[in-house]
Amino acid sequence: MSIVLRLKTPLAARLDLGGLTPSALAGKAPGEVEAIECPYGGRLVALGELFAVRAGGEGRLVIEAGDARLDGVGAGMDAGEIVVEGAVGAHAGRGMAGGVLRIAGDAGDELAAGMTGGRIELGGNAGARLGAAPSGARRGMAGGAVVIRGNAGARAGERQRGGLILVEGAVGAEAATDMIAGTLAVAGGFGPGAGRGMKRGTLIVRAEPALAEGFADTGTHDLVALRLMARRVPDLATLIGTAVRARRLVGDRLQGGLGEVLVL
Amino acid sequence: MIINGVEIRDSFAEAFPMVGTRLIITADTPDWAMTAARVTTGFATSVIGCGCEAGVERVIAPEDTPDGRPGVAILIFAMDFKGLKTVVPLRLGQCILTCPTTACYAGVEGGKRVPLAKTIRYFADGYQISKKFGDERFWRLPVMDGEFVCDEDTGSVEGVGGGNILILARSRPQALAAAEQAVKAMSAVKGVILPFPGGVVRSGSKVGSKYKALFASSNDAYCPTLRGVAASALPEEVGSVMEIVIDGVSFDAVAAATKAGIEAVCAVGSAGGVVAIDAGNYGGNLGPFHFRLRDIMGGGA
Repeated sequence: MSIVLRLKTPLAARLDLGGLTPSALAGKAPGEVEAIECPYGGRLVALGELFAVRAGGEGRLVIEAGDARLDGVGAGMDAGEIVVEGAVGAHAGRGMAGGVLRIAGDAGDELAAGMTGGRIELGGNAGARLGAAPSGARRGMAGGAVVIRGNAGARAGERQRGGLILVEGAVGAEAATDMIAGTLAVAGGFGPGAGRGMKRGTLIVRAEPALAEGFADTGTHDLVALRLMARRVPDLATLIGTAVRARRLVGDRLQGGLGEVLVL
Repeated sequence: MIINGVEIRDSFAEAFPMVGTRLIITADTPDWAMTAARVTTGFATSVIGCGCEAGVERVIAPEDTPDGRPGVAILIFAMDFKGLKTVVPLRLGQCILTCPTTACYAGVEGGKRVPLAKTIRYFADGYQISKKFGDERFWRLPVMDGEFVCDEDTGSVEGVGGGNILILARSRPQALAAAEQAVKAMSAVKGVILPFPGGVVRSGSKVGSKYKALFASSNDAYCPTLRGVAASALPEEVGSVMEIVIDGVSFDAVAAATKAGIEAVCAVGSAGGVVAIDAGNYGGNLGPFHFRLRDIMGGGA
């Protein structure tokens, strides 16, 4: 059975929905879901106080009309699907390991932080530290895919160590800081200071970004990998298109890094 | 059973289980893809001396390859998985990595994983680049013509090795001409290779030898110059025999190739000097796969 949550009134404080995943809700009737307590402001509140809960179609958690104070949506998710028909707050998809999280509106900071698998699709804009390391962790997103239709804030891909982030808009300053591995593809361009401390990993972009110091320009090359990625990775097909050549900048050499920026 | 004057002998090919994999090689041009494919499948006629049996399976159009460039699929078979894991990275490293403009991709999805770039990535001396999307990882190795792109590993199949037909003809040119027609027809079958030179083996073997060190020796029963000396399977009018050996990804693939080969030889017919079609076996006790020629041609036993 799937569950549909509809906010009764706009939230007056931040609500943490972390752990409220399709796996955790499996087999639960709407009445049982109403009794689940979540941190709301400084106290625990039963979901039934805030949401109208009803059963829906099969295998999904649907949140009708989101709220920018709705934190931790899809955090810890490992299977199934969560659909949010509006905005969410911070930490959406934190530590997510599988399943699909679709958010129609904007997301707050640390979307997909520490994510290891699954897929996130965001219709609006993301906040800062997209795919970065969650608080207390040393490494960021390690796997899975995140597709952002809008823009993302500062430090996207900070300490990212795997997976794919595609931002169809632009990203803020200092993206890919200390990036370890993985791919951050941005159609709309990077803010200033991207790539500082990059160890490995790939940034894909259409126009040369204002990179941090420490990138070596290796020139423009015919890269078979572009042809492969355009076919094998549907999320990258539009951005790479028919490009077979890219300028390859490698860094951060000031820290011995071998990350790369591919300018299509 | 006689088709177009050619006797289909009441015999069967006895084949063995082999473990195989497919690699898809692409390059900037069809010629270079084929060069890499030919070199990689060279010296791979028989597991007896080569450690594997390999051949070109088919040419792949650019629109059907992983990177959109001209491609060639090759199949490599070994007696066991350990052997396959040994020979594939060796051939990949010496023959595909070295060949200008190539890339190499997995051609089998399921089964045990055979390492590709997982093994040879260290050639790049720390400059190798891993890219992983979903569950698929590929590697980029900086090389002097640019980058060598190669999948992490490929799957494997439990295949069939040692399917065969013997073409008995009046003369050597006639046996060869019929064999060439058979190779042409059999090469069109998907999922099989004909690992011997040009698809044809003229030195078919029997199991064992008078010399202790040898596992196999000349198939004297089919050597025309030994008629009357050894127990011969050749009637007087046969002056030459050619064999075509088939390895395939499945029993059905080998059976389909066997049928295509027999049909092509029969199309040459007695007018082209073909006397009979036979098959090599060891009495039926060694190999679990039996390809009965008359069953395959729909004639029953």
